[in-house]
Amino acid sequence: MKIKKELENNVLVLALEGRLDTVTAPELEREIIDLSGVRDLVIDMKNLEYISSAGLRVILKAQKTMNTQGSMKLKNVGESIMEVFEITGFSDILTIE
Amino acid sequence: MRYDFITIIKLVAATFLPVVLSVALYLAEKKTRFGKVQYWKRQTIIGVLFGGLAVLATEFGISVEGAILNVRNAAPLTAGLLFGAPSGIIAGVIGGVYRFIATYWGAGEFSQVACTIGCILAGLFGAGCRKFMFDDKKPSWAYGLAIGGTTEVFHMLLVFLTNMDDVYGAYKVVALCALPMIICNAVSVMLSLLLVALIGKERIKKHFKSKQISQVFQFFLMICVVVAFSGTMIFTLFLQTKIAYANADKLLELNLEDVKNDLEKSLESGGSVDDEIKRAVQNRHIGQSGGIIVCNEQGIIIYDNGGHVGESIYTLKNTEDVKAHPDARFTAIIGETESYCMFSVMEGYYLIATIPVSEAMFSRGIAVSILAFMEVIVFAALFAHVYFLLKKLIVDNIHKINGSLAQITDGNLNVQVNVRENEEFASLSDDINATVDTLKHYIAEAESRIDRELEFARQIQHSALPSVFPPYPDRKDFDIFASMDAAKEVGGDFYDFWLVDSSRFAFLVADVSGKGIPGALFMMRAKTLIKDLAESGLSVAEAFTEANKELCENNEAEMFVTAWMGMLDTQTGILEYVNAGHNPPLVRHKNGEFEYLRTRPNFILAGMDRTKYKKYELTLEKGDEIFVYTDGVTEAADTDNKLYGENRLKTVLSSSCGAAEDLCRTVRADIDQFVKGAEQSDDITMLCVKLNPVEEEEKISVIPDQSSIETVADFLSATLEKWETPVKLANKAKIAVDEIYSNVVYYSGATTAEIILTEKGERLEIRFEDNGKPYDPTTAKEPDITLSAEEREIGGLGIFMVKKMAAEIDYKYWNGKNVLVIGFVSK
Repeated sequence: MKIKKELENNVLVLALEGRLDTVTAPELEREIIDLSGVRDLVIDMKNLEYISSAGLRVILKAQKTMNTQGSMKLKNVGESIMEVFEITGFSDILTIE
Repeated sequence: MRYDFITIIKLVAATFLPVVLSVALYLAEKKTRFGKVQYWKRQTIIGVLFGGLAVLATEFGISVEGAILNVRNAAPLTAGLLFGAPSGIIAGVIGGVYRFIATYWGAGEFSQVACTIGCILAGLFGAGCRKFMFDDKKPSWAYGLAIGGTTEVFHMLLVFLTNMDDVYGAYKVVALCALPMIICNAVSVMLSLLLVALIGKERIKKHFKSKQISQVFQFFLMICVVVAFSGTMIFTLFLQTKIAYANADKLLELNLEDVKNDLEKSLESGGSVDDEIKRAVQNRHIGQSGGIIVCNEQGIIIYDNGGHVGESIYTLKNTEDVKAHPDARFTAIIGETESYCMFSVMEGYYLIATIPVSEAMFSRGIAVSILAFMEVIVFAALFAHVYFLLKKLIVDNIHKINGSLAQITDGNLNVQVNVRENEEFASLSDDINATVDTLKHYIAEAESRIDRELEFARQIQHSALPSVFPPYPDRKDFDIFASMDAAKEVGGDFYDFWLVDSSRFAFLVADVSGKGIPGALFMMRAKTLIKDLAESGLSVAEAFTEANKELCENNEAEMFVTAWMGMLDTQTGILEYVNAGHNPPLVRHKNGEFEYLRTRPNFILAGMDRTKYKKYELTLEKGDEIFVYTDGVTEAADTDNKLYGENRLKTVLSSSCGAAEDLCRTVRADIDQFVKGAEQSDDITMLCVKLNPVEEEEKISVIPDQSSIETVADFLSATLEKWETPVKLANKAKIAVDEIYSNVVYYSGATTAEIILTEKGERLEIRFEDNGKPYDPTTAKEPDITLSAEEREIGGLGIFMVKKMAAEIDYKYWNGKNVLVIGFVSK
């Protein structure tokens, strides 16, 4: 998985590419372990193939962090990934554009 | 004549009153709303009306020579016989009670008790006769005459019985009343029954070809009883007359002798003959009203109790020779009374002892009349008794047996005849039962023989249908299953299929118009013909056209066949088919829904010999299915006669998947559920052909360590790309593999694992096998997906997602391995 990272005026944009599963989830987790100074977190899922429960765990962790210091939103969520969010009820707790 | 014209008119009027009332009430019952009045209310009204008639009879008695004649008892009798037992009893009680109390304002005291009892009994008698002798129906007029007469005779006997201390008075009344009252009452009852029967246009006389048993008995009984009773009567009359003569003679003789002795004694003590004779006869009575008349030699009466002194003895009207001999009885009219007389000459005087005939003959009269009344009563009792006995012992039992026999004739052989009231009928019952049992035994034997033969026929028929599945185990390109469940032992449905050559496959389903042996025979003929013709190289339409011609010949039984036949090229998927009046089959393309293949059918086979059958064509892709059936499927009926129907069949088929056999079994199970145990009325035949999709398989064996997760994921991506699996389906598969396999790596402790991927048309199957500790993910606890972000936990979410996305998921622990199969379909 590739992660493109852009930080500008306290807004962190993470663009994900490839798959977010057991193997790749730790990579993303490393990126969000320190979000100090970040007010808005944007995760761009345009090029993300799929997401498994390991990926969901990291997304949830990020959401919990951002709930205390700002906001988090997901953009360009594809059909397959949206289906996963809906099945798991994540669509209720995430901000999806 | 005792009866003058006016009296007769009065008697006739009294006789006709109950008749008029009967006719009026009968018409009211038939023509007006009175007939719809409640039974007990109606009976009460009728009873009261007839009771009123009895009261009228009491009030307006017809006086004849001091006796009162009336037609009272006819009213309650008629009510009971004509209208019903309750009305008769009510009328009798009203008439009787009124008669009893009417004594206090003028009705005769002498017959008070007799008339009261007589009237009440008349009501009871009429009611009883109707109820027990005539099965609560109106009797014929002849019975009315007999019953009316008998009742009145009994009334007369009651007069005697209630006046035993004044037999003479009773006899006087009865002698006067008996004949007119018996006649009037009997005629009254008879006329009521006769007129009502005439008005109701009922047959007055039933014309039986042969007599009833009771009638034969009653006829002979009547002859015997009449002869015996007449003999007794004549003998009694003769004997009583002789005794009465002897008694009268003795009485007259003794009185004359006593007078003679008295006179001799008193003359010895000195006195004039004239005075002494007068004194000797003065206080002498012969019987109650007889006496002694004295006259001189010139025939002038000088003494007489009856006050004829001074008249000539010859003015007395002689009925016999006047010149009677002394001491011999002769008959003369003394005063106005016919009397027996005897004279004796004494001292120049004639002494004539007299006694009235009625008095002398009183005992004879009473004996003979009581005997006659008794005989009538006894005869009526015997008559009724014979009727009852025959009815109870024979007629009723015969009816019972006839009832049972009628049931047996109607086909219920389990009826037991059980009349055990007497030995003869018990033995007859046993004989009938034994006969029926033997018959049952023979029928059962014949039935079991037919059953055995039908069972053979069924076996032969079934062996004619290909029944080994799968029929071509080496053919993976198509799948076929067919079944035929006959409604009776042998059915009229059939199916058939065969390989025409290496690529073409023919199959047909047909329904013969009849079931049982004839249907099965016709079916065998049709099946052989069609197959022979189709195998000879003809197209499906030509085969049907030729088979139809052959079947039309010599089809005396006028049977016919509806049939659907298809020939499938398994390589090109082209299906040629022909339909002879058969139900439209269902086709499913590409995992879609089943749809009816509604092309215009040709006429049935064996219907018209010139029918030309038309061939249709359809192309089936890999994975397509066709389901052919007979109307036994769509017309399967439940216990309320509701039909299974085409819609339900379509729905059930569309919602099921799997092999051809699975489809047929699913439909059959759904039919069984639908009919709720109702008996199958028609053969149920199904045939399903499926063009199998190409099957592909890839697998990977790994040692489950952390690095293998990526290896497996790459293998999956590469395989799915190669198979050109749609992206959505591929993503689901990738998630599933990540979730399940990471579980195996981290938690199972397995040392080897294998992942097998299979693709069959639109279906993707992933099979995980590992030797780790047994764990069934399908039973894992589901996470709560409604919690907020802070409360969320990730454990269990992976399995939950897989379960949600998969079409099916199946786990088993087998041979030391966890085997988990997950199936996906692209929709």
